[in-house]
Amino acid sequence: MSTTGMSTTAVAPHRKEKAGAEGAEMCSVRLGKGLFGLPITHILEIVGQAHPQPVPLAPSFVGGLVHYRGDVLTTVSLRQLLGLPPKEGAQAILVLESSGGLFGLLVDAVGEVLMVSAADYEPNPSIVDERRRTLFAGAYKLKSGLMVMLDPERLDPMCLARTA
Amino acid sequence: MPSVRAGSRAGGEAGAMDELTREFLIESQEGLDRMERCLTELEGRPDDTGLLAEIFRSVHTIKGTTGFLGFKRLEKLAHAGENLLVLLRDARLPADRGVITGLLQLLDGLRSILKGIETEGGEGDGGDAELIEKLEELQSPALTAGRTKRTPAAPAAEVAAKAQPATPVAQAEEHAADVPMSKPRTAGSGATTAESTLRVDVTLLNRMMNLVGELVLTRNQVLQATAADPNMTMLSRRLDMVTADLRESVMKARMQPVSNIFSKMPRIVRDLSQSLGRKVRLEMEGQDTELDKSLLEAIKDPLTHAVRNALDHGIEPPKVRAAAGKDPEGTLRLRSVQEGSHVLIDVCDDGAGIAVEKIRAKAIERGLITPERAGHLGERELLQLIFLPGFSTAAAVTNVSGRGVGMDVVRTNVEKIGGKVEIDSRPGKGTTLRLRIPLTLAIIPALIVRSVQQSFALPQGALSELVHVPVEEAATAIEWIEDAALYRLRGKLLPLVFLERLLMPGATLREVADREHFIAVLDADGRQFGLVVDGLADPEEIVVKPLSAVLKGIGLYSGATVLGNAELALILDPGAIAVKAGVTMRANEDAQHGKDGDMDAGTATQPEYLLVEVADRQAAVPLADVLRIEQLPVSHIEYVGFRPVLNFEGQLLPVEDTGGLLGAAQGVPEAKVIVVVCREGNRQVGIAVSHVLDVAAGGSLFEAGTTRPTLGVTLLKKRVTGVVELGGIAPLAIGDEAPQAWTEPVETAV
Repeated sequence: MSTTGMSTTAVAPHRKEKAGAEGAEMCSVRLGKGLFGLPITHILEIVGQAHPQPVPLAPSFVGGLVHYRGDVLTTVSLRQLLGLPPKEGAQAILVLESSGGLFGLLVDAVGEVLMVSAADYEPNPSIVDERRRTLFAGAYKLKSGLMVMLDPERLDPMCLARTA
Repeated sequence: MPSVRAGSRAGGEAGAMDELTREFLIESQEGLDRMERCLTELEGRPDDTGLLAEIFRSVHTIKGTTGFLGFKRLEKLAHAGENLLVLLRDARLPADRGVITGLLQLLDGLRSILKGIETEGGEGDGGDAELIEKLEELQSPALTAGRTKRTPAAPAAEVAAKAQPATPVAQAEEHAADVPMSKPRTAGSGATTAESTLRVDVTLLNRMMNLVGELVLTRNQVLQATAADPNMTMLSRRLDMVTADLRESVMKARMQPVSNIFSKMPRIVRDLSQSLGRKVRLEMEGQDTELDKSLLEAIKDPLTHAVRNALDHGIEPPKVRAAAGKDPEGTLRLRSVQEGSHVLIDVCDDGAGIAVEKIRAKAIERGLITPERAGHLGERELLQLIFLPGFSTAAAVTNVSGRGVGMDVVRTNVEKIGGKVEIDSRPGKGTTLRLRIPLTLAIIPALIVRSVQQSFALPQGALSELVHVPVEEAATAIEWIEDAALYRLRGKLLPLVFLERLLMPGATLREVADREHFIAVLDADGRQFGLVVDGLADPEEIVVKPLSAVLKGIGLYSGATVLGNAELALILDPGAIAVKAGVTMRANEDAQHGKDGDMDAGTATQPEYLLVEVADRQAAVPLADVLRIEQLPVSHIEYVGFRPVLNFEGQLLPVEDTGGLLGAAQGVPEAKVIVVVCREGNRQVGIAVSHVLDVAAGGSLFEAGTTRPTLGVTLLKKRVTGVVELGGIAPLAIGDEAPQAWTEPVETAV
């Protein structure tokens, strides 16, 4: 809601400007062994070294609360969503904006911003299970491996509460 | 100013419907609110040309701007109304009841179209033909009188209508000229004040409030971090003061007069008294009392409901009143006044009052209480029953009230914003419903409790007392009936809710008997219970931050906050906890039943006092103003000049010590002193006392030979006791004069 005045260029401002339809800049995220990507246009800020405060009785995908610029932000634990064991210690938070407002995504570590081209994109393969298919938004074939795309709209806590 | 407006109008026409239309909507709504007020007044003074001119102007302005913006449906309807109004203004038609009803319908019609524009962006295609026809019909007496021209309204109306679409500039000028003239209420007097006020977006104000909250947190952290550094003292004190001032200013900016909702009432009263066949005079008082905007919104519905109730159940039909020897015209009084950190809104009627016997019978019939219990309840306790869900005494279900969704909704809504509802009724004399609303929502005092290795904030509004159960007593003090834990609080069983068990339902439970507990005795929505926590931390003034919808859905938390140590804490919702834990109203009846009779009886009419002893003398402090009671080592008291002060969480409180307790204890390093921390206006003050004795309701004393209650003294436990006049405690200023003697408030009170 209170996004006024916040810059969306918090991520790697030194990068060259956004490419057209040919390619897009994706922020890569590490989680366990997997590589995931989010369009940087949806990321407001990356907060490192966060210790979210747990919320008793919250849906299991909620990673806790963090204090972010005067607001209290609900975070979503990507590990929990993917059925991975919780990680000890500090985590990184991507502050994302969806139509429902701001929320945080808890990940192990944030990698570099990668330029991907539309030609390398493929939708979710049918073999991916139902639950993951609702979370993933296809994948990019990179030289080093696959980068699974995440869609902030689908990770929004309200949306997860409906589909969970 | 006219030129600016003209420019924006001409330029914005092509692209932006937004800015222009939004402004139009706001102004039109203000105009219609004004019109509504005038119309209800017109009924009493049908010949008042000033009122008629004002009404005409509102409709005319809407019509003019509408034509310009291209809202055809609105224009057509406003035009029909204007034709009628011209006749009224020129005294060619009397403003009788039928006409006023027609004009009110016009008002509703215009409002609903405006609403459509606001929500859907268009006028919609509803039919207004019927209403327009009715408005034309109302003109007919005048029309037949001067049949020579087809529309007698033409001279005025047509000229106006023609003038408008012609030149945007002319229209804009006319419109602009209307503005200062038409809002004398908000703008004070004349154009100069109108120019010094500014319309600000509420979201911006919310953002400012948010940022101020942030600043308060940062200040708390800075104060904690720099407490040990003498070089920083002056700087941090200055930061402290500026922050407090800023916070107050921003809060003030969010305040709005209650007249914003009071002004809706004349119309409601008029419509209802007509449909119910009552004669009612509405009196309103204290309309300029101010309240936070969000709170004002929140009490709009409960207040409307209370007014409906007063008309439907309170004030009798004229015949019944006359038979009872009363004025056939009933009086409904709305009164609003600020009292300390609360605003009181009273809805008083001089109707039939509430017959407690009927309540008793109804409550038993509805199965809300058992006959045995009902037999034990006193009058005041019986009155409280009307707040139970599913209670309604109206013999016939009307469409006004009496569907069983009545007073419980009023109470729930008011309690949701931290307020209270009190009722007082005398059979045959009338009923008074009092809404007690906190001044602001955004920052509330809270007690910080610990459980499941986390901090939680518990709003102090619901907290009535704290009980410490040391480890050696844990096994005996907490008693069990099967799984239900209970505590004997002054001889009555208090249901206990273990916060830990509530929050971690699946976890293996720790043994209750071998550790210490703290019981926070809460009274939420009429449910009394003890919340058991592991530990207590200091109370704090917390800044309430909203939670995301998904966490709100859990239903236990009303928000979150950041504590002075930068830790996040969830704010517990006592009412929701009671519901979740299954604490019912019945338990409350038990608890109420067991309470000291006098104290309970005092809640609606008699103020409660904290009875304290200072150097062998008794004094009373108004309980509503008491924030907390602190026991602390005398060494914590510092001195500014000769004034003792207490540095409490970074806030400096002046401490009143007329009993000389501090001086007496000065030499003894381990001596403790009790300080009662009170709220006085926007500041806090401390009072050093020897003992805290009790809480009791005070009775008024009358000066012999008069009916005037004396100020500054009250009758507590049958003893005349001086009331501490908190306002008389001088504000802190470095090196100021000696404190006033407050133990003799009769002399100091004005």
